[in-house]
Amino acid sequence: MKIRLSHADGRPLYVQIMDAVRSGLVRGSLRPADPLPSVRELSSSLRVNPRTVSQAYAALERDGLVRVRHGKGTFVAPGVRPEEKERPRLAREVARRALADASRNGLALADLMTALREVEGGDAHGDGRKEDGR
Amino acid sequence: MTDTATAALPIDLGNGPFAVTTRGLAKQFGSARALDGLDLQVPEGSVYVLVGPNGAGKSTLIRTLMGLVRYQDGAVSVLGRDPADRGAEVRADIGHVPEDYRVGYAWMTVGRLLGHQAVYHPSWDAEYARRLRARYGIDPRRKCHTLSKGESRRVQLVLALAHRPPLLLLDEPTDGLDHVVRDETLSILSEHLADSPTTVVISTHRVYEVEPLVDHVGVLSEGRLLGQLPRDELYGGLLRYWADVPEGWRGPGELAGRVVRRSDAARAIEWTVWGDRDAVTRGLSQAGAAVREVAPLSVDEAALALLSAREAT
Repeated sequence: MKIRLSHADGRPLYVQIMDAVRSGLVRGSLRPADPLPSVRELSSSLRVNPRTVSQAYAALERDGLVRVRHGKGTFVAPGVRPEEKERPRLAREVARRALADASRNGLALADLMTALREVEGGDAHGDGRKEDGR
Repeated sequence: MTDTATAALPIDLGNGPFAVTTRGLAKQFGSARALDGLDLQVPEGSVYVLVGPNGAGKSTLIRTLMGLVRYQDGAVSVLGRDPADRGAEVRADIGHVPEDYRVGYAWMTVGRLLGHQAVYHPSWDAEYARRLRARYGIDPRRKCHTLSKGESRRVQLVLALAHRPPLLLLDEPTDGLDHVVRDETLSILSEHLADSPTTVVISTHRVYEVEPLVDHVGVLSEGRLLGQLPRDELYGGLLRYWADVPEGWRGPGELAGRVVRRSDAARAIEWTVWGDRDAVTRGLSQAGAAVREVAPLSVDEAALALLSAREAT
């Protein structure tokens, strides 16, 4: 599990860890019953307080995404179906961030939607030119 | 334009349990007041960072908690004891990284110095000491007086951690360490916290170096706390607001005393405000500001905002 924490990010560290697990599930790099790193391993590699990792794991367990088995470690819950819940949830989170970024720049939802379609269609400049001048 | 109001951040952490408390702690050196009615509360099991500029009283406070400096007024409790009366007992339960770099006796080897500690600390874990020393790359045959500043710091960290004390008092622990060793130290501290339940007080004026470890924050200025609160509360309650405003806009009066720092341009503001996010946003909007972004501050930025507001008064 690859996690990159950013201190400039608006989300608290434990939420960033939770989101990294969610995105691992959606991308398929984490599958049901996979083990997560131990609290000690993950806090040591991220250089964070072990409590922050425990807090993230406990919240993930409350959400039904992981199961803490005492003395054995933390595992992705066997019945997790990322496509049903986690994918739309992650998409909403990404949308929230995009909207906040748009609003910071004085853009409205309509501007953002138009630009998303143009960029997705390869028309990055909105004038029929393809990206990279191709 | 700079606001001169000092916003009231919380100082009381409630009922504990606390590993360390001081009440109305005062210490004067001659006519200079080092500690000025300080009410410190360090929750048990917390990593508490004490932030403040040089001369704020951080080292005096830590030395007082160690029983190395006698205080003149107030009350102090460290792991349930008063260090003024029972200094030796208190020190036996503390892992201390002092402000000063010198370790042991000049002629002593590092290996001998580490062996020596078992005498003072019954809980000394010789195997853990050996592992930490090896991880820090310090040869046990080195004489103490040949150690560089950074190497002494590493030895001091081994001395502080290897008896797995219930309380760690670390005075500028990353001072003198290069990037790689600092990073290694954070990893060592994370593992130590996972393995040994302990309360940690870290005093530093470079909080960004230890920020991911921190649970509680105390901002110290001129011997007093400007704020003492859980890091998550600081993160959620002290926020920076960017807004577009009409020319000559003055802002809502109801935020008076909550604005820690403001920086105004002709038609845009950047305010750091303590308070409920929705209420502050509503207040700004109702007064005619278009709020563009609200973002939390790092502990480092928050401390800087508080300390510079203090200086402006």
